[in-house]
Amino acid sequence: MELTPTSEDEAFRRAARDWLLANRPAGPAPREGRASRDYATDWLARCHAGGWSGLAWPSDYGGQGLSPERLILWYEEYVRARAPSALDCTFVALNHAGPTVIARGTEAQKAFHLPRILEGRSIWCQGFSEPGAGSDLASLRTTGRVEGDVLVVNGQKIWSSYADIADYQELLIRTEPGSSRHKGLSWVICDMTLPGITVRPIENMAGVTHFAEVFYDDVRIPLDNVVGDLHDGWSVAMTTLAFERRTAALALQLELSVKVEDLIALADAPAGSATAARLADLRAEAAAIRAMTWRTALREPATPFDGSLVRLSFAELAQKVHRAAMDILGPAGLTDGHWSHDYLESYSETIAGGTAEIQRNIIAERVLGLPREPRA
Amino acid sequence: MSFDLTPGEDLRQILDAAETMLGTHYPVARLGEGQVDDLAPLEDFGAFALAVAEDDGGAGFTLVEEAQLHVALGRHLVTPRALATAVARRLDAGATVCAGVAEGEGWLALDPDGAEAILVRDGGGLVLAALGDTTPVEALGHAMPMARVAPGADNRRADAATEAVARLLTSAQLLGVATGACDLAVEYARTREQFGRPIGSFQAIKHQAADMAIGIEQVSALVDMAAIALRDGHEDAGFQLSALARLAPRVALANARTGIQIHGGIGFSAEADAHLYLKQAHVLRQFLGADDIMSHSAPLTPY
Repeated sequence: MELTPTSEDEAFRRAARDWLLANRPAGPAPREGRASRDYATDWLARCHAGGWSGLAWPSDYGGQGLSPERLILWYEEYVRARAPSALDCTFVALNHAGPTVIARGTEAQKAFHLPRILEGRSIWCQGFSEPGAGSDLASLRTTGRVEGDVLVVNGQKIWSSYADIADYQELLIRTEPGSSRHKGLSWVICDMTLPGITVRPIENMAGVTHFAEVFYDDVRIPLDNVVGDLHDGWSVAMTTLAFERRTAALALQLELSVKVEDLIALADAPAGSATAARLADLRAEAAAIRAMTWRTALREPATPFDGSLVRLSFAELAQKVHRAAMDILGPAGLTDGHWSHDYLESYSETIAGGTAEIQRNIIAERVLGLPREPRA
Repeated sequence: MSFDLTPGEDLRQILDAAETMLGTHYPVARLGEGQVDDLAPLEDFGAFALAVAEDDGGAGFTLVEEAQLHVALGRHLVTPRALATAVARRLDAGATVCAGVAEGEGWLALDPDGAEAILVRDGGGLVLAALGDTTPVEALGHAMPMARVAPGADNRRADAATEAVARLLTSAQLLGVATGACDLAVEYARTREQFGRPIGSFQAIKHQAADMAIGIEQVSALVDMAAIALRDGHEDAGFQLSALARLAPRVALANARTGIQIHGGIGFSAEADAHLYLKQAHVLRQFLGADDIMSHSAPLTPY
């Protein structure tokens, strides 16, 4: 086991740092709406022009094809430079939709969508969850009826982040009539400007509107937009598990270490105080998240579900750090625009993308091998 | 490759061989029979010379392999004499030693049977001294034999490098304890049936088991980071080691506690092994001493 940068690695790290410090945006990111999109796409376009977009994407598709260690080095410099949050409206396209199209898309789909994503010209949202299909995603009911060379889509999606400003949606729908559970689903590229689509933004508990409900009323999507085989959408959706190890989620995990350092500076707690002890715990736990992040990237996992361990650790530590911030701030926490906002946003960490409870089931069943729960 | 956290072939072979040796000579079941650990099989295995250069009669491996070996020792609840020996041999190549902790005015020797010297956690440092007259003392529900001894006169304080090794290997053993407690509880939850099905199929049990796995993953990633940083003299070695030393005892204690709870009634009895992990975790925690993570600068400080 080795963690020794070569002189080329060191040069790469310096180049990344120099570029980031020279190019990171001066002002904070707007939190919602068109302004948030413009900020994110401007930043992505600047990264692209500088040769720093699509870092983990294969070079055949316009990416940088960085090795896992170079990706880590980049993201460490990224968070230390306080570059814009990786979890902005470009996240789904760069880390989810794009890689899925690379893995399972047609040549035409790749040629059209991949450059647009990399250059910040198109924004994607996710269309998986439904009001009746949250943790139990396979119970989804939005349908796509095959009519000639189109799918006629009817139903409703929810918790679709940035649907109000997105150009495309990765849409998971039931295309085989009478099918149930994981069978008969299709993964479809949905153009958000199509007639019959209604987007209703939903304000979150932090007072920000970046997710939405989406309604589909006889929306006609060309069959050419199906990614992978028709009725094989579940396996397409699961494709993303394979490259989860190499997404910008790495940046979020590493960023927690920076947040803990910020909190230590903010608290200025006397040695030996209860607050100092609490901060020491957070520092150690953030170090563990960093160590897990490195190891996830630099070691073959024992099971495809090992990522759940670092992911849930991260989610719970993120909340713990922000709870500590509120305690440390005292009354100032009520009006502090930075920590208190992030504190409220952090409540989504153990819900979005698989609740903490679902993650624990996965760890227990798929990593530890405990018996599956009886299902209906 | 300059960056690689996949265990190498050498390491896998050492661990396989160690597992065979430990399964033969140190099965956890031995402890229920009141057996006192003999270190001879570990000596024969070369456990105490693993990281010693081949020219000096050692196996020529490094702290990375030695730390993983101590994870395995921890999982088998091997006497802390093994840990003390691994550390003390760096100060005195012929040491026959037990571990100890300063307590009140005196020292508490941990499983001192046969030892001639004692390696004591005394305040911030480690002290190696001749073992004087011992007075047996009842300790922590028959966890292991313990004895009071007067502080030795001809003390030798461990240097910083040896202190760092001690903290790494003790933390590695705590990881082993956490892993062993989890393995035992998971095995029990797979087979123990109530309400007509294995208790491990209930979420209330599953989620506790998942938390054990999470703790293990956190500490084990830090063991890798700290061992490599220490071996290669990275400037963040002190930070990594402190983070490890802060989390390892906490996770070992939590997993031991959860393991007892998952076992239910039998977990509270001395007849099952679940309680042994708890007691070993308490003992190792005291030998580890306090961490000083706030005295280091963090590797990921913002620009």
